[in-house]
Amino acid sequence: MRVLLAFWEKEWLALSRDVHGLAVLFVMPAAFIVVMSLALSDVFKEDSARRTGFAVLAAGGPKIAEQIAGHLAGEGWFAAPAPQDEAGARDRLRRGDLGAVLVVGGDFPASPTLTVLADPALSPVRLVEFQQRVMGLMLGTKRAPAVSLEVIGYPRGGRPSSVQQNVPAWLIFGMFFVVMPMSALFIVERREGTLARLASQRVPGAMLLAGKIGPYFVINLVQAGLMLAAGVALVPLLGGEALVLPARGDLLVAVAAATSIASIGWGLLVAVLARTMEQATVIGGVGNILAAAIGGIMVPRFVMPAAMQELAELSPMAWALDAFHAVMLRSGGLADIALPCLKLILLGAALGAAALWVHGRRRTRGLPA
Amino acid sequence: MAALSLQGVSFRYPRGEEDVLRDVSLDIGSGGVLGLLGPNGAGKTTLISILAGQLRGASGRVRVDGSLGLVPQELAFYPMLTCRENLRFFGAVQGLQGGRLSQRIAAVAGLARIEAVLARRAGELSGGLKRRLNLAIGLLTAPEIILLDEPTVGVDPQSRAFLLDTIRSLAGPGRIVLYTSHYMEEVQAICNRVVIMDHGRVLISGSLDEILHDASGVLELRLRSPLPPALAVDWRSRFALQDDGGCRYRLHLCQPGALGQALEAARAAGCEPIALGYGRRDLEQVFMQLTQRSLRD
Repeated sequence: MRVLLAFWEKEWLALSRDVHGLAVLFVMPAAFIVVMSLALSDVFKEDSARRTGFAVLAAGGPKIAEQIAGHLAGEGWFAAPAPQDEAGARDRLRRGDLGAVLVVGGDFPASPTLTVLADPALSPVRLVEFQQRVMGLMLGTKRAPAVSLEVIGYPRGGRPSSVQQNVPAWLIFGMFFVVMPMSALFIVERREGTLARLASQRVPGAMLLAGKIGPYFVINLVQAGLMLAAGVALVPLLGGEALVLPARGDLLVAVAAATSIASIGWGLLVAVLARTMEQATVIGGVGNILAAAIGGIMVPRFVMPAAMQELAELSPMAWALDAFHAVMLRSGGLADIALPCLKLILLGAALGAAALWVHGRRRTRGLPA
Repeated sequence: MAALSLQGVSFRYPRGEEDVLRDVSLDIGSGGVLGLLGPNGAGKTTLISILAGQLRGASGRVRVDGSLGLVPQELAFYPMLTCRENLRFFGAVQGLQGGRLSQRIAAVAGLARIEAVLARRAGELSGGLKRRLNLAIGLLTAPEIILLDEPTVGVDPQSRAFLLDTIRSLAGPGRIVLYTSHYMEEVQAICNRVVIMDHGRVLISGSLDEILHDASGVLELRLRSPLPPALAVDWRSRFALQDDGGCRYRLHLCQPGALGQALEAARAAGCEPIALGYGRRDLEQVFMQLTQRSLRD
């Protein structure tokens, strides 16, 4: 019994001095409770607080459009400023700025033609909801017109499937997890004196860090290839819907490359900051999970309330998901992925530079590199 | 010709309360093996790290003329790689390639006698083989200056003897071998010059012979039986006799000729000398005398 008590005492002392271990036990679940509760709050509410923007373009002019928009607004739908014309509407849908646009042609309300242009990333439930609200407009008229539907940017028609949401989302999550092996090896290198030996061989710090970029970049691209292949081939084998790849494979590669740059920059910074695997797990692993929770990886952004959707913009995983969706769901071009990719690349460069600075500073100050 | 020189070098770790090196000045020329000794915390590893370029920010002047190879105290290689892969990696990062790299790998593997395990993962090797791989990596570029930081820690006597022979064989004209160890007998066996440090300062520096030479005139004597009281009284007046117990005595001889007289008198009194020390100390004595006996950790 004394031996057992001694073990307990030792464990307690060790844990009480391990701030990061305590963070895993207490801070992480607390953070998850907060983030996930906020993110999923609307799903569990009858009175949905989530809001989707829509706009109305009417042949009869802006006043009629405004009047129709007033009727359609409510229950999570808010009227956004109307685009100039249909081309502008399509552009904003392609960028994901709007959930839907109602184009009212002909003579409203006598004999209108009604077309709903929809963001393919809009959930089917929300889309049907919007169509019903549009049909509700015409209740009481003698001859209710048909409401045609066009999902913008989805070349094969139909709706985005679960696989099209989940494959890029979890691919991004997996890519960012290179932080773990990167930091694990760096910790071993530091602990075993290998970094010190390399320093004595006049290997510059920049070279040490750069030596990790290439392999992990390749690993990230292989991850992308395999995950997309799984969506195309494995998911239908198991009874799911097949992933439909866009025609522009080069853009997919570009998005994967930009995501990889951000994830490697993150991995380098965690590697130089973390002294132990526990620290790497807390900084890298938990950081990834939180970024995924906030960024629409674990919980699709469309189910989040507006405030959480805005918060999602802070997560690099959300930038990556935006870029993948621009290519995969909206058949976007280079212009559509340019901004999120640029943000990812700049973030990766900034994190890499920070890693180099920390590494250099430690060596200069005589700390273990 | 390789040379190492330190002039007034001091160093303090960030957030450290005191300097770990204090105004260290040393000129180390090539040839032979220099032993760097000191108790834990004396500043040996810090000094080596500064020479090796691992630590920056030391004040004073450090000059390293010649290519440098470090064999650190840690087993600084990748345990998940094979020995050959480790040698290839560390050779390549130092600029070796192609045939030259293969040639150097073969050379150092032969020197460290690890040819038979080149294909094995380094992490799976025995302690002695790991030490030999650690040494081999440090010698890949045939450096002119070799810094060995306690390279025999944790190995069996056979591996230690082999490592010491190998290190001794590295010494040669145009090359500096700097060796740190806690094992006095190792340093005494392979080094021809010695530096003893403590509290960041150099306490003594010189050739091994000079350092071991004892000019104090003290004769340490161990006899088969205790001195008869009469002889003890005589020696107390003539040689300031000290009785250390267990038939061990210390005599202060004013002139070398007195040594023969003292031994003769002891024999005549029926006290056969069975051990004596005069004019030469062993390194441990010098070390303990200079660094005191207090624990450092």
